[in-house]
Amino acid sequence: MTTARRPSSDEPHVEFENIGKSYDGRVLAVQDFNLAVRRGEFLSLLGPSGSGKTTCLMMLAGFEMPTTGAIRISGRSVHALPPRKRGIGMVFQDYALFPHMTVAENLAFPLDVRGMSRDETGELVGRALRLVRLEGFEGRRPGQLSGGQQQRVAIARALVFEPGLVLMDEPLGALDRHLREEMQYEIRRIHRTLGVTIVYVTHDQQEAMVMSDRVAVLRDGRIEQAAPPESLYEEPERSFVARFIGENNRLHGRVLSIENDICQVRVGEHVVKAIRVAPCEPGDATTLSIRPERIAVAPRPGLYTNEFDARIRDITFVGDHLRIRVQACGGKDFIAKIPNMVGHGAVLEGDEVRIGWTPTDCRVLDAGEDHDA
Amino acid sequence: MMRSGAERRSSLRAVGLALPLVAFVGVMFVAPLVSMLVRSVHDPVVADAMPETLALLDDWDGASVPEEPVFEAAARELALLQRERAIGQVAGRVNRVQGGLRSVLVVTGRRLGDAAGDSWRESMTEVNEAWGEVETWHALRTAGERFTMRHYLAAVDLTRLPDGSVVRQAPDRRIYVPLFTRTLAVSLGVTLLCLLLGYPLAHLIAHSPPRRGGILLALVLVPFWTSLLVRTTSWIVLLQNQGVINDLLVAAGFIPDDARLALIYNMTGTFVAMSHVLLPFMVLPLYSVMRTIPRSHMSAAASLGAGAAQAFRRVYWPQSLPGVGAGCLLVFILAIGYYITPALVGGSTGQLISNMVAYHMQTSLNWGLASALGGIILVCVTGLYILYDRIAGGGRLGVT
Amino acid sequence: MRAAGGIGRIGQVAYLGFCAGVLVFLIAPILVILPLSFNAEPYFTFTEGMLRFDPEAWSMRWYREVVTDGAWTGALANSFIIGTAATVLATLLGTLAALGLSSPHMPARRLVMGLLISPLVTPVIIAAAGMFFFYTRLGLGQTHLGLILAHAALGAPFVVITVTATLAGYNRDFTRAAASLGAGPVRTFRSVQLPLIAPGVISGALFAFATSFDEVVVVLFLAGVEQRTIPRQMWAGIRENISPAILAVAAFLILFALCLLWAVAWLRKRSSG
Repeated sequence: MTTARRPSSDEPHVEFENIGKSYDGRVLAVQDFNLAVRRGEFLSLLGPSGSGKTTCLMMLAGFEMPTTGAIRISGRSVHALPPRKRGIGMVFQDYALFPHMTVAENLAFPLDVRGMSRDETGELVGRALRLVRLEGFEGRRPGQLSGGQQQRVAIARALVFEPGLVLMDEPLGALDRHLREEMQYEIRRIHRTLGVTIVYVTHDQQEAMVMSDRVAVLRDGRIEQAAPPESLYEEPERSFVARFIGENNRLHGRVLSIENDICQVRVGEHVVKAIRVAPCEPGDATTLSIRPERIAVAPRPGLYTNEFDARIRDITFVGDHLRIRVQACGGKDFIAKIPNMVGHGAVLEGDEVRIGWTPTDCRVLDAGEDHDA
Repeated sequence: MMRSGAERRSSLRAVGLALPLVAFVGVMFVAPLVSMLVRSVHDPVVADAMPETLALLDDWDGASVPEEPVFEAAARELALLQRERAIGQVAGRVNRVQGGLRSVLVVTGRRLGDAAGDSWRESMTEVNEAWGEVETWHALRTAGERFTMRHYLAAVDLTRLPDGSVVRQAPDRRIYVPLFTRTLAVSLGVTLLCLLLGYPLAHLIAHSPPRRGGILLALVLVPFWTSLLVRTTSWIVLLQNQGVINDLLVAAGFIPDDARLALIYNMTGTFVAMSHVLLPFMVLPLYSVMRTIPRSHMSAAASLGAGAAQAFRRVYWPQSLPGVGAGCLLVFILAIGYYITPALVGGSTGQLISNMVAYHMQTSLNWGLASALGGIILVCVTGLYILYDRIAGGGRLGVT
Repeated sequence: MRAAGGIGRIGQVAYLGFCAGVLVFLIAPILVILPLSFNAEPYFTFTEGMLRFDPEAWSMRWYREVVTDGAWTGALANSFIIGTAATVLATLLGTLAALGLSSPHMPARRLVMGLLISPLVTPVIIAAAGMFFFYTRLGLGQTHLGLILAHAALGAPFVVITVTATLAGYNRDFTRAAASLGAGPVRTFRSVQLPLIAPGVISGALFAFATSFDEVVVVLFLAGVEQRTIPRQMWAGIRENISPAILAVAAFLILFALCLLWAVAWLRKRSSG
């Protein structure tokens, strides 16, 4: 999961301050939105459709106006600036390459608008095409390019006038999986080469995790959690985030007592020890979240504080690991992942085993909306 | 509903862009139609010319010949009209209410100058005894109505009796209702013929390979783009007595030379030429709907055991219905208002209601009646167009 | 024709034969004009000489007559003057209106669209009658300007329809992309939007021109002797002094129609391809 990243500076490049947006005057598409993007950072806005991520991007680009709050770029409010004066590069979901212009003409357009000389334009267009590895495609029209090539041209066009900030709105949504992975790599490479700030919108959590320095998870127009990918995975602060990022076992229960951030939580007839990450009081309804790879199946007895009797329902072979579905804690299904190593034949479907996990791998989160207590 | 400033600006901009054409069409097209509709119910000529007489006639009982003051006012105003040379227009209006009164008014106006006596009533009756009849005064009063429904009544072969009751015209004077009926019948017939001819053709075009389909479609579009007058000329060339078809039939021996068929300058000519002109308007909407019906549906129906006829009736035909509806309404709407073709190839028996509008506009100069006939057609067409709009969706007329 | 499959061979032949018959009905009357316009005699039918391909029976006589007749050449000039001016006006106003109508924030769109389309569905005879009263009162009767304005109103709906249809395929992200790349509204319209909707604008203009070029009813009501157009002259030719000269004019108009048809088809292919 960990990747070497360029350190980004601490100076905020983009700031959203108390942004609210309503299209009809009643329903808020975005609310209480506060976020600072550091210069040089790759930040993803991640969320399901309707979570407000594209609205935020459009407000930053200037195509939508916030109903409340302020957006600042390099410390200056951009409220009065029309999109064309914000100097932001943008990659659209459908690329929006001008079909009547060649690749070179598309790339020259922003330079031409800025009144650059012919030589300078040719130089910059050439450099941008080299950056996206499309030398020799200058004379083609967008209609003559493949999806991946169009994608590269769109990126080159957003970068050619050397903006410090680039926005990307689900740019890989139209590509097939293989091409998408290739382009993820390409975009990361370009980010590192140029050091520009990128704000990237996607609904694909895997994509966000792979590419970003930091991911802001959005739900219903609010930020649930903004953190580096590792933190989101390892230390989700909200049950929505825990569910949205990666796979998760969820237990609903009620807090009995709290001691040094370790809570005793009643789940059915059992008591589970877990770590508190959000403020909670005894008596609160709660969701416990445990990653499947943190559940030990048939561990050495006495190793874990939380240990329960379980029954193996089925085992799926997934190549590098085994997915084991067990029934424990009064009929509840758990998923456990164990590495595919020598000796996995030790458990079989139907076996009665013990399962266990440490309290620090089990996080006490908010009740979540599907709590059935 | 609260709207953001940007949306308001965008909305204002949209209105600003549309406004020039809206204003242009409003002034150059809609205003003329409205003024025509006003004219169909509003006719101030007689009212302005004889205000005193008409004011006095307001109190008239209508049963017996009016009193002397009415005669005096009428005499004075007619004499004035005579001096201003405006009597012809007024007399024409009154004449339309009751035939024969034109000369009564004109002659009275001319002769009253030298007539003088104790009683205007006697002098006028002396000039023309029509002034002694109640009907004359009724006609004058009717013609003097500023706002009137009489053009509309006339347009549907009704007339109002002096006592105010509305009755049908005498059978020999019923012209317009039979003409409306004929127009509707011809329009319906042309529509059905176009459907019959157009449906298989549209089907063939819609399900041909692209290249062949394109060529066939072009063949339908050639007449569509060709001048209407050219197409009408073609039919004259083909159908006239010494025309190509009659020549062929005679040469082939089907008919003797002295019994050539009367194919034109009658209803046959109108019907054939109209169908030819309107057929593309049927084929194009049908084609655009049929193109969207997947071929696999007929194959699927066949695989499910349906015969060709059954598959067509239960699978293809229902899906093509929007095209049938749009095409039929379009052809029908265009047929109802058809003017040029019947005027040129219809002779005397192939005339439709539009030709009557033109006749009253240009020949009889009964503009009120022409406007009323136009108003009725306009209402019919507007109603049908709204129906068409529902079926075919805004602004699509199968032409693009 | 797989769609007709299953009816059997006879049905198939009948179906194709019927369609061929309908096509002949559509095209033959127009084609018959072409040879007849070379008739050496003042007849509207094939003379025996023509059928024997006797060169004597064929001639350019009627074409010469048309070209040298001041009435026809004057009418041609009028048709082009009125048609061109009406087309320019209709295209300009129609394109602007279509841009407005395509905005998502256009209020009362359906109503406005209905109003703008109304000249297309109103029977021309009624429009012409109304215009006769109204234009005469405005002093536009028997003037070129009156006919230009009337024909612009009749042609504008075609422009609105074709441009609106083209704009429906226009991706709004193009405008946003241009803005994000630094282009102002004027530049965006000129460099991005206009080139993309140009095929729709041009085919709308061709429709508008064809409408004016073929219009006779309004001309009958509004035009004086000075404003006689080609269709008006043909009308007179058919009604009053029937002469094969109109066949020569008709042949010219058919060629003209083929050019228009080809131009519109080419534009459509270009805008969709």
